[in-house]
Amino acid sequence: MGEDTDATPTLNHRGFLPDHNYVTEADIISTVEFNHTGELLATGDKGGRVVIFQREPEGKTEPFSQGEYNVYSTFQSHEPEFDYLKSLEIEEKINKIRWLPQQNAAQFLLSTNDKTIKLWKVSERDKRPEGYNLKDEEGRIKDISTVTSLQVPVLMPMDLMVEVSPRRVFANAHTYHVNSISVNSDFETYMSADDLRINLWHLDITDRSFNIVDIKPTNMEDLTEVITAAEFHPHHCNLFVYSSSKGTLRLCDMREAALCDKHSKLFEEPEDPSARSFFSEIISSVSDVKFSHSGRYLLTRDYLTAKVWDLNMESKPLETYQVHDYLRSKLCSLYENDCIFDKFECAWNGSDSVIMTGAYNNFFRMFDRNTKRDVTLEASRESSKPRAVLKPRRVCAAGGKRRKDDISVDSLDFTKKILHTAWHPTENIIAIAATNNLYIFQDKLNSELH
Amino acid sequence: MLGRGVKRKWSCLEELEAEAAPAAVTEEKQQQQQQRAEGEEDGGEDEGGLPAAPPKSETSHLQQRQLVLGLCLEKLQHYQAGVELSLRRSVLLVNTLRQIQEDMRSDGPGTCVHPDSCLLRGDLRRDMPVTCPGCAEGVGGHLPLSSPPEFPPQEADGSHDPQKSLPAAAAATATATATISAFSDAVNAMGYLGDLALDDIFEDIDTSMYETSDLPSAWPTGSPWPVGVSLWADEDVKLRAAGHGSSSGSLQSCLLDLNELDHIMEILVQS
Repeated sequence: MGEDTDATPTLNHRGFLPDHNYVTEADIISTVEFNHTGELLATGDKGGRVVIFQREPEGKTEPFSQGEYNVYSTFQSHEPEFDYLKSLEIEEKINKIRWLPQQNAAQFLLSTNDKTIKLWKVSERDKRPEGYNLKDEEGRIKDISTVTSLQVPVLMPMDLMVEVSPRRVFANAHTYHVNSISVNSDFETYMSADDLRINLWHLDITDRSFNIVDIKPTNMEDLTEVITAAEFHPHHCNLFVYSSSKGTLRLCDMREAALCDKHSKLFEEPEDPSARSFFSEIISSVSDVKFSHSGRYLLTRDYLTAKVWDLNMESKPLETYQVHDYLRSKLCSLYENDCIFDKFECAWNGSDSVIMTGAYNNFFRMFDRNTKRDVTLEASRESSKPRAVLKPRRVCAAGGKRRKDDISVDSLDFTKKILHTAWHPTENIIAIAATNNLYIFQDKLNSELH
Repeated sequence: MLGRGVKRKWSCLEELEAEAAPAAVTEEKQQQQQQRAEGEEDGGEDEGGLPAAPPKSETSHLQQRQLVLGLCLEKLQHYQAGVELSLRRSVLLVNTLRQIQEDMRSDGPGTCVHPDSCLLRGDLRRDMPVTCPGCAEGVGGHLPLSSPPEFPPQEADGSHDPQKSLPAAAAATATATATISAFSDAVNAMGYLGDLALDDIFEDIDTSMYETSDLPSAWPTGSPWPVGVSLWADEDVKLRAAGHGSSSGSLQSCLLDLNELDHIMEILVQS
């Protein structure tokens, strides 16, 4: 890490090289997701488009040509709609994308906006038949009198064409806004969660879904809590977790009852009475929940912290990481400019040893669970040239000791927020969405998982 | 119709943040309340029961509470104006409002910190009797004293107990006088607002925001939530006011006329 010369302790094995700097047509990226092998990376944006990147096969000779991501396909997933009954516009913004595990040559992904989930098939075509008997090369019907002999059409190679087609549309099942979708480990079902309900679907059946969680009170005036995220367990197809705006997590077992309103486990950290303020509840609202790859832990993100929970311990989190504690004294201002309602996502690395989440000023943070070290990095064109090593950043609290290149809390740009991040399932490659830019960083020094 | 709140300056916010350390505030507030409980005799109206100058953190806690209250309502107003708030955000805002209300209630019934707060108590909790002795003085007439833009001119009270609920209309001069004096007392009771000229409190209020047209027609139809939140209890208030008016003989009219409200405002400002 040659460029970094200051005394800030850095993680030795974390020399990241930015690969490329993709500008996705000035639209704000709203979701980022690697597929199960990491070969494909999908992004959704506010305009309802999905862009899929594919990793180039690695060159064996030159180490630096190791798989870079290039655009593979772009398609319009959702269009804006109008709900005539409620006189409300339904945004086309893609809230979530989830890949299905690959089962044949084609790839499948689910994409959702506020109301409708769609299953897309992404397939390649690199051959086409030539030598038809009844049609000529342009497709015109031949004059039958000119046909003197029979020929067998042959498949000839052609330029690679990526075809994307909608295979299923799962509509009209959500009154409220869909915030999560999660594919089950049985590869047959998936769930979609909105603010008050969670539905279970079969991937082949679009006209029916089962409601498995319903927290809507009889009287809407009694509503005090909404569902903020939900996910299936990576191995146990009967278990799923959902988080709430009050900072609780509920693990549910679908074998117990058809309607999983009664949780199997409730994960909640008791509130610290000395830290109570008017904003306590808002900052405790969980914005994202992710199972670890092992299925043993849960990672949650609330406004100021990221927490790792052990599924076997409901009383408190195993680990709590302060993402940007310097904002704790600024909560009132952040409340006024609505930043306090921002929903940050979080991610595990492939071995569940490092967690990552975004922050403001295009900063994102990584925490090593084993060494307890953390780093703040910036995703911006100014601070990272292609192939340059990212320099760790530091935010100093007001009045704290200030070093060179430190950013003070007051000069943070709160419009530059990293809400969406994704980590390659096996390698140290991360995708960071900074407003309308996508950054992909690779760890060159130690590409294989340690 | 909910009007616009007073816009706070950034520097004001930062001031409050610098002062308001939650831990310190909570502790000192508890001490403060203990002192008050020991010192006061009949509610916060008795000047002798209150310390001459409340400690800074207590002040800033109240200031912050007021600020957050204003912001909360402003944000919820956006919803009413047709910009759809996400359900999550609406829930968090209303929960914050409820928390502020709890906090105000824990101040004790005697301390009417701000005339707005009395209205807030009545507005948010339908089953809570809105008897704010500091403001109403047992007259039974409660005027929305500062006619804050955040609240409708009518008193919004969903109390099930008609005897305890305060009627929406209070046009009688006697009532106005009583409430004026009550308000002055309340102002004196508020240490940190005592030095403010009354004009300053009212000058930002834009009464042109008031509309007498039906509120529900302005709402997006079928909006999922909140549909019946008592924050928008105007419809109900008008109906209830009609009921009260017929039973209370001393009241001139059932609905508070805007002209009368303006008139009363002038009285208050000039006093």
